[in-house]
Amino acid sequence: MAADLIGGFIGTLFVISVMSMLWRDNLFFRFGQAAIMGATIAHYIFMNFQSVYKNGIIPLMAGNVMFVIPILLGLLMYTRLSKDIAWLAKYPTSVLVGVGTGVMITGTLRGQIIDQVKQTVLDAFTGINGIIILVGVVTALSFFLFTKEHTGALGTCVKIGRVFLMISLGANFSGELIWYLTQMIGRLMYILNEFVWPLLGA
Amino acid sequence: MATARERLAKARRFYQIIWALCLIGMFIPLVYPLGLPVKVSEPVKDYYEAIANLPEGSVIAVSFGASAALLDEQEAQFLATWKTIFQYGHKVIFYCSTQDAPIIIQNELAEVNPEKYGYVYGEDYVILPYSPLGEAGQAAFAKSIRSIYSADIEGTPLDNIPLMKDIDSYKGIDLLIYEYTSCTDVEWVIRQWVVPYKTKVLIMTLGCCGPMAAPYYPTQIQGFLSGSGAGTELEVVSGNPGPGAAMSDAKNLGMLPFFIAIIWTNIKPFLGRED
Repeated sequence: MAADLIGGFIGTLFVISVMSMLWRDNLFFRFGQAAIMGATIAHYIFMNFQSVYKNGIIPLMAGNVMFVIPILLGLLMYTRLSKDIAWLAKYPTSVLVGVGTGVMITGTLRGQIIDQVKQTVLDAFTGINGIIILVGVVTALSFFLFTKEHTGALGTCVKIGRVFLMISLGANFSGELIWYLTQMIGRLMYILNEFVWPLLGA
Repeated sequence: MATARERLAKARRFYQIIWALCLIGMFIPLVYPLGLPVKVSEPVKDYYEAIANLPEGSVIAVSFGASAALLDEQEAQFLATWKTIFQYGHKVIFYCSTQDAPIIIQNELAEVNPEKYGYVYGEDYVILPYSPLGEAGQAAFAKSIRSIYSADIEGTPLDNIPLMKDIDSYKGIDLLIYEYTSCTDVEWVIRQWVVPYKTKVLIMTLGCCGPMAAPYYPTQIQGFLSGSGAGTELEVVSGNPGPGAAMSDAKNLGMLPFFIAIIWTNIKPFLGRED
């Protein structure tokens, strides 16, 4: 119980240290920031090392020699640390880009272009929402048409598209703002549940 | 005429007041719960029904890419989802795609307590450890789970786990719940699960990532939760109370100062004041 309370107290101190930035930059904030960054980086290094060990080193030691290739490619990434042999890092980078592109290309065409266009058009026949979406998609896309001057009918289309883009960006931004608030509420809940209420015996 | 420095100082003071009011607004419902009504949206209803309508004993894979730094935004979603899955008796394969995910999922399952629902680890649910999946990893997982994971989080080989004995690819999975915190990751699941295998997919993500998941609903994904608000809605629709209700009330009150500030700053120029 006392250990939980101490844990809650330390957590509360770090929350307050980070939130003290709202007042202004200060030593308490910098201490909290450095401690959190340090702990996070240590955690990530450990987890990544463990992942490489479990998924690469152990199978290799068990006799699966194929694992030499990814381990070698991974090690080549560190050649960037020396200017003389930094060019070697291009090999793993090329593999990553090549595999990434190969994996995504077919799914992109079908899932994100053909199916999306098909559904946008079909939805236009289902009601007013579908029509609004279709108009929004067409006019917003016209905003990015730079090979023709934005005058006349195209100019009107672009202006409507700009409104849709602004609404979309506004919705995204409001999502961001609410997200920040949620983070803050979460920390307030933490302070209350892990420190204040236990301290008061509530 | 105020100098630029004075105007900046004034703006800073204005922000400080807004944040202080916001903090007070958020604090009140946490101390005195208000119980404001919650309206359940269509994506959340569909999300719940996709889980509820699966035959009992179906296998659900959960791609878990949670981040400790963003947990507050999603905790209500997580807890309500796990409880819903367990109450309908589905089998679950949790696989972790971020460094934080194994710790988070273990903590959450300790809180939800699957054993309370009659679940047995290894037979009804299993946790696979962290692996830096990315899109290529998701593609490989869908084709062969054993190409990515040889053992579970406790180091038990997959072949020795009863639940995993006959499952090695998308063929053994009835529903995928895809959780992520990087907005464009929704494209991975579309490209690697939906397009090639037509797997039923549900999405769990942050509030700010919702607009990027929405275009795929309802044709390519069956439902989605974005942000803690959706978590609260799932708590309501599934009848599993959790931290979301208090959070939603706090958010509603916390938003008020911003809402008033936005209206005020927009009408202020029309009132004839210079700054």
